[in-house]
Amino acid sequence: MSTTAQTPQSGAAESPETAPAVPGTPRWWFRPVPLARIAVFRVIAYLFIPIDVFVTTAWVRAHADVPTEWYQPLLIGRLLGLPTPTHTVVLVVQWALVIAAVAAATGRAPRILGFAVFLLYAEWMVIAMSYGKVDHDRIAFLVALAVLPTIGRARFRDRRSSEAAGFAMATVLVAVMLTYFLAAWAKIRFGGWDWPTGSTLTRAIVRRGTDLSNWTLDVPYLLPVAQWVMIAFELASPLILLVRSERARIGLVLFLLGFHVMVYAGVTIIFLPHCIAILSILPWEKLTAGRRRTALPTPAQPTPSTAAS
Amino acid sequence: MTRLDGRRSYDGGVSLQSAPDLPAEPEVERLSPVARRTRLAAAVAVLAVVLAGSVWGEDDAFPFGPFRMYSTRADPNQPVISTRVVGLTAAGEEIRLSGGQVGLRRAEFEGQLPRIADDPELLGLLADSYAERNPDAEPMVEVQVIQRHIELSGGQPTDEVDDRVLVTYELDTSDDDSEDGE
Repeated sequence: MSTTAQTPQSGAAESPETAPAVPGTPRWWFRPVPLARIAVFRVIAYLFIPIDVFVTTAWVRAHADVPTEWYQPLLIGRLLGLPTPTHTVVLVVQWALVIAAVAAATGRAPRILGFAVFLLYAEWMVIAMSYGKVDHDRIAFLVALAVLPTIGRARFRDRRSSEAAGFAMATVLVAVMLTYFLAAWAKIRFGGWDWPTGSTLTRAIVRRGTDLSNWTLDVPYLLPVAQWVMIAFELASPLILLVRSERARIGLVLFLLGFHVMVYAGVTIIFLPHCIAILSILPWEKLTAGRRRTALPTPAQPTPSTAAS
Repeated sequence: MTRLDGRRSYDGGVSLQSAPDLPAEPEVERLSPVARRTRLAAAVAVLAVVLAGSVWGEDDAFPFGPFRMYSTRADPNQPVISTRVVGLTAAGEEIRLSGGQVGLRRAEFEGQLPRIADDPELLGLLADSYAERNPDAEPMVEVQVIQRHIELSGGQPTDEVDDRVLVTYELDTSDDDSEDGE
Protein backbone atom coordinates (compact mmCIF):
# COMPACT_ATOMS: atom_id res chain seq x y z
CA MET A 1 0.00 0.00 0.00
CA SER A 2 1.36 3.41 -0.85
CA THR A 3 1.06 6.02 1.80
CA THR A 4 2.56 8.95 -0.03
CA ALA A 5 0.58 11.66 -1.80
CA GLN A 6 -1.16 12.38 1.47
CA THR A 7 0.29 15.78 2.14
CA PRO A 8 1.33 18.44 -0.32
CA GLN A 9 4.90 18.30 0.95
CA SER A 10 6.92 15.94 -1.16
CA GLY A 11 9.23 15.40 1.80
CA ALA A 12 6.49 13.71 3.81
CA ALA A 13 7.54 10.23 2.77
CA GLU A 14 11.09 10.78 4.01
CA SER A 15 10.19 12.52 7.26
CA PRO A 16 12.26 11.17 10.12
CA GLU A 17 9.09 10.01 11.93
CA THR A 18 8.19 7.49 9.26
CA ALA A 19 11.65 6.54 8.04
CA PRO A 20 12.07 2.79 7.65
CA ALA A 21 13.99 1.09 10.44
CA VAL A 22 14.56 -2.49 11.50
CA PRO A 23 12.77 -3.19 14.81
CA GLY A 24 15.18 -3.53 17.69
CA THR A 25 17.97 -1.47 16.18
CA PRO A 26 18.91 1.87 17.83
CA ARG A 27 17.61 3.62 14.72
CA TRP A 28 14.21 2.03 15.40
CA TRP A 29 14.16 2.66 19.15
CA PHE A 30 15.00 6.35 18.67
CA ARG A 31 12.96 7.11 15.56
CA PRO A 32 11.53 10.54 16.45
CA VAL A 33 7.88 10.94 17.42
CA PRO A 34 6.05 14.30 17.32
CA LEU A 35 5.79 15.88 20.75
CA ALA A 36 2.20 16.90 20.02
CA ARG A 37 1.32 13.18 19.91
CA ILE A 38 2.76 12.78 23.39
CA ALA A 39 0.86 15.82 24.66
CA VAL A 40 -2.46 14.29 23.59
CA PHE A 41 -1.71 10.72 24.65
CA ARG A 42 -0.51 11.89 28.05
CA VAL A 43 -3.86 13.52 28.76
CA ILE A 44 -5.68 10.33 27.74
CA ALA A 45 -3.45 8.10 29.87
CA TYR A 46 -3.56 10.24 33.00
CA LEU A 47 -7.27 11.02 32.82
CA PHE A 48 -7.99 7.32 32.38
CA ILE A 49 -6.66 6.71 35.90
CA PRO A 50 -9.58 8.28 37.82
CA ILE A 51 -11.96 6.36 35.54
CA ASP A 52 -10.05 3.15 36.21
CA VAL A 53 -10.03 3.71 39.97
CA PHE A 54 -13.66 4.73 40.40
CA VAL A 55 -15.50 3.04 37.55
CA THR A 56 -13.93 0.31 35.48
CA THR A 57 -11.90 -1.53 38.12
CA ALA A 58 -13.63 -0.38 41.26
CA TRP A 59 -13.01 -3.85 42.73
CA VAL A 60 -9.51 -2.70 43.64
CA ARG A 61 -10.98 -0.13 46.04
CA ALA A 62 -13.20 -2.87 47.43
CA HIS A 63 -10.06 -4.49 48.85
CA ALA A 64 -10.11 -1.73 51.45
CA ASP A 65 -12.91 -3.60 53.22
CA VAL A 66 -11.46 -7.09 52.94
CA PRO A 67 -10.03 -8.50 56.20
CA THR A 68 -6.24 -8.14 55.94
CA GLU A 69 -5.88 -11.86 56.69
CA TRP A 70 -6.92 -12.42 53.07
CA TYR A 71 -3.94 -10.39 51.79
CA GLN A 72 -1.41 -12.62 50.07
CA PRO A 73 1.55 -10.41 49.19
CA LEU A 74 3.17 -10.85 45.78
CA LEU A 75 6.89 -11.38 45.42
CA ILE A 76 7.41 -7.67 44.78
CA GLY A 77 5.44 -6.78 47.91
CA ARG A 78 7.56 -9.14 50.01
CA LEU A 79 10.86 -7.97 48.50
CA LEU A 80 10.11 -4.28 48.94
CA GLY A 81 8.32 -4.72 52.25
CA LEU A 82 5.23 -2.93 50.94
CA PRO A 83 2.61 -2.16 53.60
CA THR A 84 -0.33 -4.47 54.23
CA PRO A 85 -3.33 -2.83 52.52
CA THR A 86 -5.41 -1.82 55.50
CA HIS A 87 -8.47 0.32 54.95
CA THR A 88 -6.39 3.47 55.50
CA VAL A 89 -3.53 2.42 53.22
CA VAL A 90 -5.94 1.70 50.36
CA LEU A 91 -7.73 5.03 50.76
CA VAL A 92 -4.50 7.04 50.99
CA VAL A 93 -3.01 5.42 47.90
CA GLN A 94 -6.28 5.85 46.02
CA TRP A 95 -6.58 9.58 46.62
CA ALA A 96 -2.87 10.30 46.17
CA LEU A 97 -3.00 8.44 42.86
CA VAL A 98 -6.10 10.20 41.57
CA ILE A 99 -4.88 13.67 42.55
CA ALA A 100 -1.41 13.09 41.08
CA ALA A 101 -2.90 11.74 37.85
CA VAL A 102 -5.23 14.70 37.35
CA ALA A 103 -2.36 17.09 38.08
CA ALA A 104 -0.11 15.24 35.63
CA ALA A 105 -2.79 15.45 32.95
CA THR A 106 -2.35 19.22 32.90
CA GLY A 107 1.16 18.69 31.53
CA ARG A 108 2.82 20.57 34.37
CA ALA A 109 5.99 19.18 35.96
CA PRO A 110 5.82 16.17 33.63
CA ARG A 111 8.83 14.40 35.12
CA ILE A 112 8.05 14.66 38.83
CA LEU A 113 4.28 14.24 38.59
CA GLY A 114 4.63 11.52 35.97
CA PHE A 115 7.04 9.56 38.11
CA ALA A 116 4.76 9.93 41.14
CA VAL A 117 1.80 8.63 39.14
CA PHE A 118 3.85 5.64 37.98
CA LEU A 119 4.89 4.70 41.52
CA LEU A 120 1.39 5.15 42.93
CA TYR A 121 -0.24 3.20 40.12
CA ALA A 122 2.29 0.39 40.59
CA GLU A 123 1.38 0.24 44.29
CA TRP A 124 -2.30 0.32 43.33
CA MET A 125 -1.68 -2.72 41.16
CA VAL A 126 0.03 -4.52 44.03
CA ILE A 127 -3.09 -3.89 46.11
CA ALA A 128 -5.18 -5.16 43.22
CA MET A 129 -3.30 -8.38 42.52
CA SER A 130 -2.47 -9.57 46.05
CA TYR A 131 -5.72 -11.36 46.82
CA GLY A 132 -5.42 -14.56 44.84
CA LYS A 133 -5.93 -13.36 41.29
CA VAL A 134 -3.44 -11.65 39.01
CA ASP A 135 -4.69 -9.88 35.89
CA HIS A 136 -2.56 -9.48 32.79
CA ASP A 137 -4.19 -6.52 31.15
CA ARG A 138 -2.06 -3.63 32.30
CA ILE A 139 1.61 -4.29 31.71
CA ALA A 140 1.66 -2.06 28.62
CA PHE A 141 -0.16 0.70 30.52
CA LEU A 142 2.34 0.43 33.38
CA VAL A 143 5.16 0.70 30.85
CA ALA A 144 3.51 3.79 29.35
CA LEU A 145 3.30 5.40 32.79
CA ALA A 146 6.95 4.51 33.42
CA VAL A 147 8.25 6.06 30.20
CA LEU A 148 6.03 9.15 29.85
CA PRO A 149 8.05 11.08 32.49
CA THR A 150 11.26 10.43 30.54
CA ILE A 151 10.05 12.64 27.68
CA GLY A 152 9.72 15.90 29.55
CA ARG A 153 7.76 18.85 28.19
CA ALA A 154 5.39 18.30 25.31
CA ARG A 155 2.78 20.80 24.17
CA PHE A 156 -0.23 20.34 21.92
CA ARG A 157 1.12 22.82 19.40
CA ASP A 158 4.68 21.63 19.52
CA ARG A 159 5.77 21.02 15.94
CA ARG A 160 9.01 19.38 16.94
CA SER A 161 9.51 15.69 17.24
CA SER A 162 11.85 14.07 19.71
CA GLU A 163 13.98 10.99 20.02
CA ALA A 164 13.08 10.70 23.71
CA ALA A 165 9.42 10.56 22.69
CA GLY A 166 10.32 8.03 20.01
CA PHE A 167 11.99 5.77 22.54
CA ALA A 168 9.05 6.02 24.93
CA MET A 169 6.51 5.14 22.25
CA ALA A 170 8.72 2.30 21.03
CA THR A 171 8.77 0.74 24.50
CA VAL A 172 4.97 0.98 24.76
CA LEU A 173 4.64 -0.65 21.35
CA VAL A 174 6.96 -3.47 22.44
CA ALA A 175 4.94 -3.92 25.64
CA VAL A 176 1.69 -4.10 23.65
CA MET A 177 3.26 -6.63 21.29
CA LEU A 178 4.66 -8.76 24.11
CA THR A 179 1.26 -8.87 25.81
CA TYR A 180 0.08 -10.88 22.80
CA PHE A 181 3.26 -12.73 21.95
CA LEU A 182 3.99 -13.87 25.50
CA ALA A 183 0.32 -14.82 25.90
CA ALA A 184 0.85 -17.31 23.09
CA TRP A 185 3.99 -18.52 24.81
CA ALA A 186 2.12 -18.93 28.10
CA LYS A 187 -0.53 -21.03 26.34
CA ILE A 188 2.21 -23.31 25.08
CA ARG A 189 3.97 -23.37 28.44
CA PHE A 190 0.93 -23.97 30.65
CA GLY A 191 -1.60 -25.42 28.25
CA GLY A 192 0.76 -27.46 26.12
CA TRP A 193 1.16 -27.61 22.37
CA ASP A 194 -2.40 -28.94 22.12
CA TRP A 195 -3.91 -25.85 23.79
CA PRO A 196 -5.91 -24.93 20.67
CA THR A 197 -7.67 -28.30 20.65
CA GLY A 198 -8.85 -27.87 24.23
CA SER A 199 -12.07 -26.32 25.43
CA THR A 200 -10.68 -23.17 27.00
CA LEU A 201 -13.09 -20.88 25.16
CA THR A 202 -16.02 -23.19 25.90
CA ARG A 203 -15.12 -23.05 29.55
CA ALA A 204 -14.84 -19.27 29.42
CA ILE A 205 -18.24 -18.89 27.76
CA VAL A 206 -19.95 -21.39 30.07
CA ARG A 207 -18.64 -19.40 33.01
CA ARG A 208 -19.07 -15.87 31.69
CA GLY A 209 -21.02 -16.09 28.43
CA THR A 210 -23.38 -13.37 27.19
CA ASP A 211 -26.37 -13.30 24.85
CA LEU A 212 -23.91 -12.39 22.12
CA SER A 213 -21.68 -15.41 22.69
CA ASN A 214 -23.77 -18.26 24.09
CA TRP A 215 -24.84 -19.38 20.60
CA THR A 216 -21.22 -20.25 19.81
CA LEU A 217 -21.45 -23.16 22.24
CA ASP A 218 -23.88 -24.90 19.90
CA VAL A 219 -21.80 -24.57 16.74
CA PRO A 220 -19.45 -27.54 16.41
CA TYR A 221 -15.76 -26.75 15.76
CA LEU A 222 -16.31 -22.98 15.91
CA LEU A 223 -14.53 -22.40 19.21
CA PRO A 224 -11.56 -24.68 18.52
CA VAL A 225 -11.06 -22.88 15.20
CA ALA A 226 -11.24 -19.56 17.05
CA GLN A 227 -8.54 -20.88 19.38
CA TRP A 228 -6.26 -21.69 16.45
CA VAL A 229 -6.84 -18.24 14.95
CA MET A 230 -6.13 -16.58 18.28
CA ILE A 231 -2.82 -18.31 18.89
CA ALA A 232 -1.76 -17.73 15.29
CA PHE A 233 -2.42 -13.99 15.56
CA GLU A 234 -0.65 -13.83 18.89
CA LEU A 235 2.43 -15.53 17.47
CA ALA A 236 2.36 -13.11 14.52
CA SER A 237 2.16 -10.06 16.79
CA PRO A 238 5.84 -9.01 16.36
CA LEU A 239 4.74 -7.76 12.95
CA ILE A 240 3.10 -4.78 14.64
CA LEU A 241 6.59 -3.41 15.33
CA LEU A 242 6.78 -2.61 11.61
CA VAL A 243 4.00 -0.04 11.78
CA ARG A 244 5.10 3.32 10.32
CA SER A 245 2.65 5.25 8.18
CA GLU A 246 -0.38 7.00 9.59
CA ARG A 247 -2.78 4.75 7.74
CA ALA A 248 -1.09 1.63 9.04
CA ARG A 249 -1.19 3.03 12.57
CA ILE A 250 -4.92 3.74 12.40
CA GLY A 251 -5.62 0.36 10.81
CA LEU A 252 -3.62 -1.49 13.43
CA VAL A 253 -5.36 0.30 16.30
CA LEU A 254 -8.80 -0.43 14.84
CA PHE A 255 -7.90 -4.10 14.41
CA LEU A 256 -6.58 -4.49 17.96
CA LEU A 257 -9.43 -2.57 19.57
CA GLY A 258 -11.88 -4.58 17.45
CA PHE A 259 -10.49 -7.78 18.93
CA HIS A 260 -10.85 -6.50 22.48
CA VAL A 261 -14.40 -5.27 21.90
CA MET A 262 -15.29 -8.70 20.50
CA VAL A 263 -13.85 -10.41 23.57
CA TYR A 264 -15.85 -8.03 25.74
CA ALA A 265 -19.05 -8.88 23.89
CA GLY A 266 -18.33 -12.57 24.39
CA VAL A 267 -17.16 -12.90 27.98
CA THR A 268 -17.43 -9.33 29.40
CA ILE A 269 -13.68 -9.10 29.93
CA ILE A 270 -11.99 -6.03 28.54
CA PHE A 271 -8.30 -5.21 28.77
CA LEU A 272 -9.07 -1.53 29.21
CA PRO A 273 -5.66 -0.27 30.43
CA HIS A 274 -4.07 -2.26 27.60
CA CYS A 275 -6.47 -0.58 25.14
CA ILE A 276 -5.38 2.82 26.45
CA ALA A 277 -1.77 1.83 25.79
CA ILE A 278 -2.80 0.84 22.26
CA LEU A 279 -4.08 4.40 21.71
CA SER A 280 -0.47 5.60 21.94
CA ILE A 281 0.07 4.15 18.44
CA LEU A 282 -2.27 6.70 16.81
CA PRO A 283 -0.91 9.85 15.10
CA TRP A 284 -2.61 12.23 17.54
CA GLU A 285 -0.51 15.16 16.29
CA LYS A 286 -2.89 15.36 13.32
CA LEU A 287 -5.62 16.60 15.66
CA THR A 288 -3.65 19.50 17.01
CA ALA A 289 -2.01 20.25 13.63
CA GLY A 290 -5.43 20.44 12.00
CA ARG A 291 -6.60 22.93 14.56
CA ARG A 292 -3.55 25.07 13.97
CA ARG A 293 -3.93 25.01 10.20
CA THR A 294 -7.45 26.37 10.43
CA ALA A 295 -6.26 29.04 12.84
CA LEU A 296 -3.38 30.21 10.64
CA PRO A 297 -5.16 31.73 7.61
CA THR A 298 -6.90 34.36 9.72
CA PRO A 299 -4.07 36.50 11.04
CA ALA A 300 -5.50 39.68 9.50
CA GLN A 301 -8.70 39.57 11.51
CA PRO A 302 -8.86 41.90 14.45
CA THR A 303 -9.65 39.24 17.09
CA PRO A 304 -8.11 36.06 15.75
CA SER A 305 -7.82 34.13 18.99
CA THR A 306 -11.40 34.54 20.16
CA ALA A 307 -12.86 34.13 16.68
CA ALA A 308 -11.29 30.69 16.36
CA SER A 309 -13.31 29.27 19.21
CA MET B 1 17.90 56.59 -3.10
CA THR B 2 19.26 55.72 -6.46
CA ARG B 3 21.98 53.17 -6.46
CA LEU B 4 25.04 53.28 -8.70
CA ASP B 5 23.53 50.70 -11.05
CA GLY B 6 20.47 52.86 -11.50
CA ARG B 7 18.07 50.75 -9.39
CA ARG B 8 16.08 52.40 -6.64
CA SER B 9 16.21 51.18 -3.08
CA TYR B 10 12.66 49.78 -3.29
CA ASP B 11 13.56 47.60 -6.28
CA GLY B 12 15.13 45.00 -4.04
CA GLY B 13 13.38 41.79 -3.13
CA VAL B 14 11.17 42.00 -0.12
CA SER B 15 10.25 38.97 1.89
CA LEU B 16 6.48 38.99 2.10
CA GLN B 17 6.09 36.55 4.98
CA SER B 18 7.62 36.90 8.37
CA ALA B 19 9.70 33.94 9.43
CA PRO B 20 7.35 32.32 12.00
CA ASP B 21 4.56 31.91 9.44
CA LEU B 22 6.67 29.84 7.08
CA PRO B 23 5.94 26.15 7.24
CA ALA B 24 9.48 25.42 8.33
CA GLU B 25 10.74 21.87 8.56
CA PRO B 26 9.90 20.61 12.05
CA GLU B 27 13.02 20.17 14.09
CA VAL B 28 13.98 16.99 15.84
CA GLU B 29 15.12 17.00 19.44
CA ARG B 30 18.04 14.61 19.63
CA LEU B 31 19.24 12.61 22.62
CA SER B 32 22.81 12.63 23.80
CA PRO B 33 24.80 9.40 23.38
CA VAL B 34 24.71 8.89 27.15
CA ALA B 35 20.93 9.31 27.27
CA ARG B 36 20.58 6.84 24.42
CA ARG B 37 22.81 4.28 26.09
CA THR B 38 21.01 4.59 29.42
CA ARG B 39 17.64 4.10 27.77
CA LEU B 40 18.76 1.10 25.74
CA ALA B 41 20.34 -0.50 28.81
CA ALA B 42 17.13 0.00 30.83
CA ALA B 43 15.02 -1.45 28.02
CA VAL B 44 17.27 -4.50 27.71
CA ALA B 45 17.23 -5.06 31.48
CA VAL B 46 13.42 -4.86 31.74
CA LEU B 47 13.01 -7.07 28.68
CA ALA B 48 15.32 -9.65 30.20
CA VAL B 49 13.31 -9.74 33.43
CA VAL B 50 10.00 -9.96 31.56
CA LEU B 51 11.25 -12.80 29.38
CA ALA B 52 12.71 -14.64 32.38
CA GLY B 53 9.38 -14.19 34.17
CA SER B 54 7.55 -15.66 31.21
CA VAL B 55 9.87 -18.66 31.04
CA TRP B 56 10.31 -19.48 34.72
CA GLY B 57 8.04 -17.18 36.70
CA GLU B 58 4.54 -17.59 38.09
CA ASP B 59 1.74 -15.09 38.71
CA ASP B 60 3.46 -14.25 41.99
CA ALA B 61 6.15 -12.40 40.01
CA PHE B 62 3.70 -9.67 38.85
CA PRO B 63 4.36 -7.40 36.99
CA PHE B 64 7.04 -9.62 35.49
CA GLY B 65 5.14 -12.90 35.54
CA PRO B 66 3.89 -14.89 32.58
CA PHE B 67 0.97 -13.57 30.51
CA ARG B 68 -1.21 -16.53 31.27
CA MET B 69 -4.69 -15.29 30.45
CA TYR B 70 -6.72 -18.33 29.46
CA SER B 71 -3.52 -20.27 28.97
CA THR B 72 -4.47 -23.50 30.72
CA ARG B 73 -5.89 -26.09 28.40
CA ALA B 74 -9.34 -27.21 29.38
CA ASP B 75 -10.01 -30.86 28.58
CA PRO B 76 -13.08 -31.08 26.33
CA ASN B 77 -14.35 -34.07 28.32
CA GLN B 78 -13.79 -32.74 31.81
CA PRO B 79 -16.51 -30.73 33.53
CA VAL B 80 -16.33 -26.94 33.72
CA ILE B 81 -16.04 -25.90 37.35
CA SER B 82 -17.48 -22.70 38.71
CA THR B 83 -16.88 -21.82 42.34
CA ARG B 84 -19.09 -19.80 44.62
CA VAL B 85 -18.89 -18.85 48.27
CA VAL B 86 -22.19 -18.49 50.09
CA GLY B 87 -23.43 -17.84 53.58
CA LEU B 88 -26.33 -19.98 54.72
CA THR B 89 -29.08 -18.62 56.95
CA ALA B 90 -30.83 -20.71 59.56
CA ALA B 91 -33.64 -21.14 57.03
CA GLY B 92 -31.17 -22.57 54.53
CA GLU B 93 -31.17 -19.59 52.23
CA GLU B 94 -28.00 -18.73 50.33
CA ILE B 95 -26.37 -15.31 50.65
CA ARG B 96 -23.79 -14.91 47.92
CA LEU B 97 -20.39 -13.69 49.07
CA SER B 98 -18.28 -14.33 45.98
CA GLY B 99 -19.78 -11.70 43.68
CA GLY B 100 -18.01 -8.73 45.20
CA GLN B 101 -20.26 -8.48 48.29
CA VAL B 102 -17.24 -8.64 50.62
CA GLY B 103 -14.75 -7.03 48.29
CA LEU B 104 -13.45 -10.24 46.71
CA ARG B 105 -14.19 -11.63 43.26
CA ARG B 106 -14.87 -15.21 42.28
CA ALA B 107 -11.45 -15.62 40.72
CA GLU B 108 -9.82 -14.37 43.92
CA PHE B 109 -11.62 -17.04 45.94
CA GLU B 110 -10.54 -19.64 43.40
CA GLY B 111 -6.95 -18.44 43.67
CA GLN B 112 -6.99 -18.85 47.45
CA LEU B 113 -8.87 -22.18 47.62
CA PRO B 114 -5.97 -24.15 49.09
CA ARG B 115 -5.57 -21.52 51.80
CA ILE B 116 -9.30 -21.59 52.58
CA ALA B 117 -9.24 -25.38 52.87
CA ASP B 118 -6.29 -25.17 55.30
CA ASP B 119 -7.71 -22.30 57.28
CA PRO B 120 -11.53 -22.16 57.02
CA GLU B 121 -11.62 -19.48 59.68
CA LEU B 122 -10.90 -17.03 56.87
CA LEU B 123 -14.51 -17.61 55.83
CA GLY B 124 -15.67 -16.59 59.30
CA LEU B 125 -13.89 -13.23 58.90
CA LEU B 126 -15.80 -12.64 55.69
CA ALA B 127 -19.11 -13.45 57.33
CA ASP B 128 -18.33 -10.95 60.09
CA SER B 129 -17.38 -8.30 57.58
CA TYR B 130 -20.57 -8.96 55.59
CA ALA B 131 -22.75 -8.74 58.71
CA GLU B 132 -21.06 -5.51 59.71
CA ARG B 133 -21.82 -3.88 56.39
CA ASN B 134 -25.32 -5.35 56.06
CA PRO B 135 -26.80 -5.05 59.55
CA ASP B 136 -30.31 -5.79 58.27
CA ALA B 137 -29.36 -9.04 56.57
CA GLU B 138 -30.59 -12.37 57.90
CA PRO B 139 -27.83 -13.78 60.16
CA MET B 140 -25.75 -16.59 58.70
CA VAL B 141 -25.13 -19.85 60.45
CA GLU B 142 -22.44 -21.20 58.16
CA VAL B 143 -20.34 -20.36 55.14
CA GLN B 144 -19.78 -22.80 52.31
CA VAL B 145 -17.48 -22.99 49.32
CA ILE B 146 -19.42 -24.75 46.61
CA GLN B 147 -18.13 -25.92 43.25
CA ARG B 148 -20.58 -26.42 40.45
CA HIS B 149 -19.48 -29.05 37.96
CA ILE B 150 -21.01 -28.63 34.52
CA GLU B 151 -20.44 -31.76 32.45
CA LEU B 152 -19.13 -31.33 28.93
CA SER B 153 -19.60 -33.76 26.11
CA GLY B 154 -17.27 -33.36 23.15
CA GLY B 155 -16.50 -29.83 24.31
CA GLN B 156 -20.13 -28.80 24.58
CA PRO B 157 -21.98 -28.20 27.82
CA THR B 158 -24.71 -30.59 28.89
CA ASP B 159 -27.54 -30.15 31.37
CA GLU B 160 -25.72 -32.34 33.85
CA VAL B 161 -24.93 -30.02 36.73
CA ASP B 162 -23.64 -31.11 40.07
CA ASP B 163 -22.95 -28.92 43.10
CA ARG B 164 -20.27 -30.14 45.50
CA VAL B 165 -19.55 -28.53 48.83
CA LEU B 166 -15.81 -28.12 49.17
CA VAL B 167 -15.45 -26.36 52.52
CA THR B 168 -17.99 -25.73 55.26
CA TYR B 169 -17.32 -23.39 58.12
CA GLU B 170 -19.85 -23.19 60.93
CA LEU B 171 -20.23 -19.79 62.45
CA ASP B 172 -20.30 -19.43 66.19
CA THR B 173 -23.77 -17.92 66.43
CA SER B 174 -24.20 -18.26 70.20
CA ASP B 175 -21.34 -15.80 70.67
CA ASP B 176 -23.22 -12.97 69.07
CA ASP B 177 -25.78 -12.80 71.85
CA SER B 178 -23.30 -12.76 74.71
CA GLU B 179 -21.17 -10.08 73.11
CA ASP B 180 -23.86 -7.53 72.51
CA GLY B 181 -22.29 -5.15 75.03
CA GLU B 182 -19.33 -4.52 72.68
